[in-house]
Amino acid sequence: MQYWINHNGVQSGPMDLDALKQMGLTSAAYVWHEGLSDWVKITQIPELQDVYVMEGAAPEVAEIPEIPPVQRQDEPVAREPYQPQRQPAQPYQPAQPQYAGPQPANAEPCPPTNLVWAIISTVLCCLPAGIVAIVYATKVTNKYRAGDIEGAKRASEVGAWWCIASIILGIICQPFMSAIPSMMGSMN
Amino acid sequence: MRRSLIIILVAVLLLVLGFIYYALDPSASTVFPRCPILTLTGYKCPGCGSQRAIHALLNGDVAGAFRYNAFLMVAIPWIVLCLYAESRRTRNPQLYARLNAPLLAWLLLALVVLWWVLRNIFDW
Repeated sequence: MQYWINHNGVQSGPMDLDALKQMGLTSAAYVWHEGLSDWVKITQIPELQDVYVMEGAAPEVAEIPEIPPVQRQDEPVAREPYQPQRQPAQPYQPAQPQYAGPQPANAEPCPPTNLVWAIISTVLCCLPAGIVAIVYATKVTNKYRAGDIEGAKRASEVGAWWCIASIILGIICQPFMSAIPSMMGSMN
Repeated sequence: MRRSLIIILVAVLLLVLGFIYYALDPSASTVFPRCPILTLTGYKCPGCGSQRAIHALLNGDVAGAFRYNAFLMVAIPWIVLCLYAESRRTRNPQLYARLNAPLLAWLLLALVVLWWVLRNIFDW
């Protein structure tokens, strides 16, 4: 089985089980493989329970190169058997560019920001609801970069609804506005 | 299949809207949506004049289009680029990521608000 990994916003894959063990993943990582409709938390896949440590137990990436594998045995870590193996593979992870490598066609890690629709509804639909949508567009990317994929998805949806609300409100207001003819003269 | 159907529907809708905005003058007709902000407060919103600007542009009056809503005219090339990036999102995620960077979004928000304030001060 081939797996794709999204760990702290850095995506990599495809990899097999042995390669995953080398990555030093934490429980914050997300996984996708053939047959899944979307990314899932690594903790939700039983066959991967040996390739990650619970968040907080993982060593900091920066200190990895200095510590030889032997010393690592002394550290209090939850799962021992694979701990020494994680060492050599660690530096590989930060070197991975964000969008490098083949991506599974149906797994798009960062949800749409809707920024262009927010701008369009701001400029065309005459309603500041679009401005709220712009703010949500920034939230999507910020949350995604912080590793909060669920939050990014929520912000993406809320932003999309603000765009739709902007357009619908613009249309609905039409009959109501026509009822105020005295003010319409100043508009043209 | 579903994707191409959506593209065709959007294309037809754009053509119909384009013809309507080409043929009818929004400032002379009551069919078009009015800006609720302007009607209620008397202040122009960032999008006021967009319909008249599109009508002017479709009739070849670029100067008139800028007079009605200069911000829209400046934004159109950017919007076209963004829509292109949107359609290429899976094939070219880097372009999409760059155009949707939070910093850029904040900058656009600042520009919109600046345009909002300035156009009401100088009556643009």
